[in-house]
Amino acid sequence: MFKILIVEDDIELREELSIFLTKNGYESYCLEDFQDPLSKMEQRKPDLILLDINLPNCNGEFLLKEMRKQSNVPVIMLTSRNTEVDEVLSMTYGADDYITKPYNPTLLLLRIEAVLKRYHHVSHILTYQDVTINVEKGTVLREKQELILSKNEMRILVYLVNHQGAIVTRDELMNHLWDNMEFVDDNTLTVNINRLRGKLSEIGLYHVIETRRGLGYILL
Amino acid sequence: MKFNFISYLKDRLISILLFFFLFLSVFFTLSAFHVGEELLLSIMVLFFLFGSVLLSYDYIRRRTFWKHFLFCLERLDEKYLISEIVSKPEFLEGELFFDALYEINKSMNEKIHDYRKNVTDFKEYIELWIHEVKIPIASSKLIAYNNRSKEIKKIDEQISRIENEVEQVLYYVRSENAEKDYLIKEVSLRSVINQVVVKNKEALLAKKVTIKMENVDHTVLTDGKWFEYILNQIVNNSMKYAKEKDSFLHFSYHETKEEAILEIEDNGIGIAKTDLPRVFEKSFTGKNGRKGKNSTGMGLYIVKNLCDKLGHSIELKSEEGKGVKVILSFSKEGYYDVAKSLTKL
Repeated sequence: MFKILIVEDDIELREELSIFLTKNGYESYCLEDFQDPLSKMEQRKPDLILLDINLPNCNGEFLLKEMRKQSNVPVIMLTSRNTEVDEVLSMTYGADDYITKPYNPTLLLLRIEAVLKRYHHVSHILTYQDVTINVEKGTVLREKQELILSKNEMRILVYLVNHQGAIVTRDELMNHLWDNMEFVDDNTLTVNINRLRGKLSEIGLYHVIETRRGLGYILL
Repeated sequence: MKFNFISYLKDRLISILLFFFLFLSVFFTLSAFHVGEELLLSIMVLFFLFGSVLLSYDYIRRRTFWKHFLFCLERLDEKYLISEIVSKPEFLEGELFFDALYEINKSMNEKIHDYRKNVTDFKEYIELWIHEVKIPIASSKLIAYNNRSKEIKKIDEQISRIENEVEQVLYYVRSENAEKDYLIKEVSLRSVINQVVVKNKEALLAKKVTIKMENVDHTVLTDGKWFEYILNQIVNNSMKYAKEKDSFLHFSYHETKEEAILEIEDNGIGIAKTDLPRVFEKSFTGKNGRKGKNSTGMGLYIVKNLCDKLGHSIELKSEEGKGVKVILSFSKEGYYDVAKSLTKL
């Protein structure tokens, strides 16, 4: 489990952020005392730091610059300062991403995931029955039979596998694809699902995605 | 008003008339005492000469000052600086006038300075306030996400509305103030469009809008944040006036020799021909706005201001009932060197 350190001075916000991260499968800590933040940040040995710019007695950009002298732990700036100058400055000081408040929670998760993936080179491998799904490579493997899926098909499959046995509505799938910057419409979604079904049956997985009329889809 | 000899004579009419009266009185008095004709003539000529010299001397003294003063005033862009340019005149009324002008200017400048300071202070306060208010908005959005329910979702939508309004204030303040708080650099079109579409995801999905992107893998020279705001306003408007069925939003990019052009086209209800020339005016709501879509008439006004500051041009084409096409043009060459040197910093 990845450890995320939240460096934010607003108590409400950091507590809610901590609940949010814990609910989504991360371990999270908050920095509560801003005396000598640098050494405290290092003590915790986080895998990722969410860093605010406006902090009591110090500036997040300065902290980042100082920290980069000894450590290259991934940092995402999380701030209400939304000028291009701040963003460029943070990025040159070595931030891995820059997100402005108020953020869309789903997008925050996606960007955290992306930064962690880039830094730790985790290959995202899922299994379903006797099938191995390699998300990065976009392939599905079953008894030496390999399938290549398109980006959208892979996204749909991953979502279904993560919600296996539960009904997934079309709205949920659309939302998920849109969050990943794939702006499909209703027809495209139907086409993608049918293609996915077709491809899965090529490796002997027949009727694994069932349609529940008026509700959505379910992966058996 | 002009300063020439005739207007000067008109101004001095009473003195001249009095002088003539004196002239005639002397003439008749001397005639009554039977002074010799030659003496009478010489006295009268001397009288006349002295009068003319006196008048001309006075006229020339004034003319030098006023000619210069009026000349400078006409040419000056910032007219209030006149007292800094013209040197002090050498006749009494001139000196009095000049001193008064100086005093008036000084007090006006102080007043302007106060107002300017007030405006800057106010702007700084608003920016600070917006940063502050974004924190509870961010917390609320997280709370809503952590505790999902039907009611909370409604509150979340209202919070998003507050968020949009707050954002509008921020960009209004930015667009109205002369200070340059933007940074022009190469910005990826696709990533900005993606962010804007995701930001409007709820509305776009609810109206089942088809998104089309054509040739958008390019960069344009702009300020990323400002551009995102501009595009967001355009998409927002498009959503407000989208039709119920088969809506689309089409982003396409092409280049000409001098310009990079992004077009955003929809098939919504469009804008009436009579409204079209006025859409960028402040507080203009037009026919569509009056249909109760809570329009403030500020969105496009701010967009236009931001575009002007960034040096982009924006144009709206529309046919009522068929849709709107927004054409945004970016300069290709002009800012290039500046942008390059800035990104190197």
